[in-house]
Amino acid sequence: MPIEINWQLLMPELVIALTLIIVLVFDLFDAISKTVLGWMTIVGAGIALWVSIQMHYTGTVGVEFNDMFKVDNFSLFFNIIFLVSTILVTLISMSYLDRGGRKQGPYYLLILLATLGMMLMAAGNELIIVFLGLELMSLSLYVLAGYFRESPASSEAGMKYLLLGAFASAFFLYGIALIYGGAGTTSIPAIAEAVTAENKSPLLLAGMFLLVVGFGFKVAIVPFHQWAPDVYEGAPTTIAAFISAGPKAAGFAAFLRIFMEALPTLQVEWSGVLILLAMLTMTVGNIIAISQTNIKRMLAYSSIAHAGYVLIGLAAANNDGISSAMLYLLIYCVMNIGAFGAVILAKTEDGESLLISDYAGLGTRKPLLAMFMTVMLLSLAGFPPTAGFVGKLYLFKAAIGSELYLLVIVGAINTAISAFYYLRVVVTMYMREPEEELEFSPYASTLVIGLVIAAIGVFLIGILPSLMLTPAQNSVF
Amino acid sequence: MLLSIVIFLPLLGVIAIALLRGLGATAVKGIALVIGLLTFVISLGLYTGFNADTATFQYVTQKSWIPGLGTSYHIGIDGISLWLVLLTTFLTPICILAAWNSVEKGLSGFMMSLLALETGMLGVFCSLDLFLFFVFWESMLIPMYFLIGVWGGERRIYATVKFVLYTMAGSALMLVGILALYFQNDNSFDFTTLSGPFEHSHLLFLAFFIAFAIKVPLFPFHTWLPDAHVEAPTVGSVILAGVLLKMGTYGIIRFCLPLFPDAADKYTPLIVTLAVIGIIYGALVAMVQPDLKKLVAYSSVSHLGFVVLGLFSKDPAGIQGSMLQMVNHGLSTGALFLLVGMIYERRHSRMIVDFGGLSKRMPIFATIFMIVTLSSIGLPGLNGFVGEYMILAGSFVGQAFSKVYVVFATAGVILAAVYMLWMFQRVMFGTLDKTNEGLPDLNAREIVVMLPILLFIVWIGVYPKTFLSKIEKSVEVVVTKVQAEPSMGHLENPGMQDSRFALRETPRAQHEKIEKEAQQ
Repeated sequence: MPIEINWQLLMPELVIALTLIIVLVFDLFDAISKTVLGWMTIVGAGIALWVSIQMHYTGTVGVEFNDMFKVDNFSLFFNIIFLVSTILVTLISMSYLDRGGRKQGPYYLLILLATLGMMLMAAGNELIIVFLGLELMSLSLYVLAGYFRESPASSEAGMKYLLLGAFASAFFLYGIALIYGGAGTTSIPAIAEAVTAENKSPLLLAGMFLLVVGFGFKVAIVPFHQWAPDVYEGAPTTIAAFISAGPKAAGFAAFLRIFMEALPTLQVEWSGVLILLAMLTMTVGNIIAISQTNIKRMLAYSSIAHAGYVLIGLAAANNDGISSAMLYLLIYCVMNIGAFGAVILAKTEDGESLLISDYAGLGTRKPLLAMFMTVMLLSLAGFPPTAGFVGKLYLFKAAIGSELYLLVIVGAINTAISAFYYLRVVVTMYMREPEEELEFSPYASTLVIGLVIAAIGVFLIGILPSLMLTPAQNSVF
Repeated sequence: MLLSIVIFLPLLGVIAIALLRGLGATAVKGIALVIGLLTFVISLGLYTGFNADTATFQYVTQKSWIPGLGTSYHIGIDGISLWLVLLTTFLTPICILAAWNSVEKGLSGFMMSLLALETGMLGVFCSLDLFLFFVFWESMLIPMYFLIGVWGGERRIYATVKFVLYTMAGSALMLVGILALYFQNDNSFDFTTLSGPFEHSHLLFLAFFIAFAIKVPLFPFHTWLPDAHVEAPTVGSVILAGVLLKMGTYGIIRFCLPLFPDAADKYTPLIVTLAVIGIIYGALVAMVQPDLKKLVAYSSVSHLGFVVLGLFSKDPAGIQGSMLQMVNHGLSTGALFLLVGMIYERRHSRMIVDFGGLSKRMPIFATIFMIVTLSSIGLPGLNGFVGEYMILAGSFVGQAFSKVYVVFATAGVILAAVYMLWMFQRVMFGTLDKTNEGLPDLNAREIVVMLPILLFIVWIGVYPKTFLSKIEKSVEVVVTKVQAEPSMGHLENPGMQDSRFALRETPRAQHEKIEKEAQQ
């Protein structure tokens, strides 16, 4: 029996897979400059992005492969988030790798593989597919985290990430198994049908909580966050940016899909847990971030806190909640990669200057760099007219719509706490005198392009949020 | 359209300076001053075209902005915001001129912050959409943060971070309140369609009030103010005292009183107690300050206490007095900070003990200082008197709270005379210290900076009707809402149809009587 496949639905994934093969093949030729591979990645991801936007715009949706793979506006919107992240990360990576004289082929290959994994996660209509995507993404990231083999910190980061990640995957798989035990199926729509108010077997509940733990590890929710700061600090800065953006969004994509679509009947059980986790994650992330002296660690804790903000949208569990979480993830990816890009830009000749105190006086010595950093940090802190403000406001609005007043108050107070440590970096750059003269390496053009795109994005979404808000609102499954 | 131009012209100046900063310091200062003056001149158009016979919002513009969030670009002004808008556009060019020679580093950044701040402040006063209001409210923080943090004194970083965190903590609560109102307003942030009574109105009132009380600042939320004032550059202090503090009192009269009258009623005793404590406490602490700037800062706490007292008198005269006093305080305290800044530039000290006998060396300075001091004390014939008198008289005849409060508040007026005159005596009279002998008197630029402020100090003092007549109608609307009997519910639309706000006889008569007395 011939299998009819609607290839059109698979276009973004196919483009990425094709790019992957091209990069793999061209990496074999020593004659060409390896920077070309970076540009190939960008072009490939760019085409996939364009295709995804077109499909979202024209409403090209459907299911494929025996209902296992679901292309809808939800997965397409997440494709946009992943591909934007991939493009930005590649832009900030090129000079970073070039200057270090690193091997570039495998790097871009792994990034593309991880992106493909994320896209599978968002489109998975079947728990096994989601798991497949998760593993494809995670395995690529383990290697990327330890990409600088000769650096002990990077190797340690890779190892730590691998061990804890494998642990989390096991939880996740065990959760799938228990849900299968309870519902008799692993297909998301079928689970939704099987789980009724009468049929809430303990197996299902146990499976659900194991899934929360598994996702909790992947997206770094307190108390499953311990790996994040170490991995971010040790991993190459570009990879820290990547891990904090795309994979986190992918984790949330699957999280949203499974909890909102497969297990809405169990909302009574999971919403309380998510509210608690959201409050805990925001508060712990922000408070620990205050005491950090290393900017990468600070951004790691801030990224934990931001996972907490996104959880507000999940806890709200209404349409606004879903679309606000999606919008926030998009905004967060842009501004967080921007912030890491600024950290890379602030590199000294002899290495990276990662202590916040090293940034003293940057405002006058490197005005462009200080400006980029300030814009990203203000957006992370949620000041208008940047995108971070709109994103946060929309999340809070969704939560108030579900009458989660306490959660919003905790979130809003956390915003004030976070302003403290983000502004401290700005204070250091503009208001303190440098203690020693550091030699900063010259700006790399690709890095600056990446930062300019991120900055434009932050302001564009901040001033005209409808550009992304309306698509996000149309993307609720 | 006119209003949009006024709001965003300074932002255009920011962009112009950013692009043309290469032309040198004079060009940057020139652009800033021209933009500042131009904004003021255009804003005068708002005054001349303002219809004082109605309480409706004027110069209204409403454009779709983020339909998905139920928010639009909706601006307009009424009698309550008119003078605050003009105060802002008036003080900004004065500040630019005052900072002409005092900024040593990062001049273009300084002027850009100042102009960006102006747009933010104007936006707050003109927004008729809660979302837009919040956007301006928060975005204003950033330029102020830089003004204090980059160009401030020694402990500037501590002061600026404290300022931002206090304000943000307050606005976090307000944000929750705004969002809760959104759902009770048919999923819209539009201010003009808000109609009570609201669910959880007491909590909403508190959410808004605490944010505004921090900004005012009402005792005991005032501790950020002295730090911010002392560390801020002169111009930062002027803007802070002149306009930023008014946002708190503006918020109270715009949101807290008309939207949640029953809650306002319930919390009146507590709030008024805090206001009176602020009046007395601010005055007593000001009295013992050795630092001129700190003295003026604490006097602000005291003066703003009067404003809050007047607002919660729920009496037309009291509220009008508060509105006028907001402008007065902006002028007098702004002028005091300018004068302190001028003497600091010459002597590099603000300690009262370092001075004495200055009137001999600097007669012009002493004269202007005298007028401003008397205005701040509330000498009849100058602006401070009209405002304070209306507040106290309105509080006395209004039935909102016990007259004991008014008695204590009146003591604050006497204390104000004590600390201001004592300070003036120690600085201006007595023996002239040797180190101060070479101090030059004010130059032409500095006199130009001060003259417009003096003009208005006398104008408001002698003929306040120019100012009060524009405020009257809008205040009436607020009074009707806060005085409405709980059984009547409260009136729906905030103020579009005049006929609905026919004022009850008693307060109206009282109010006219008091106004006449005030003008005599």
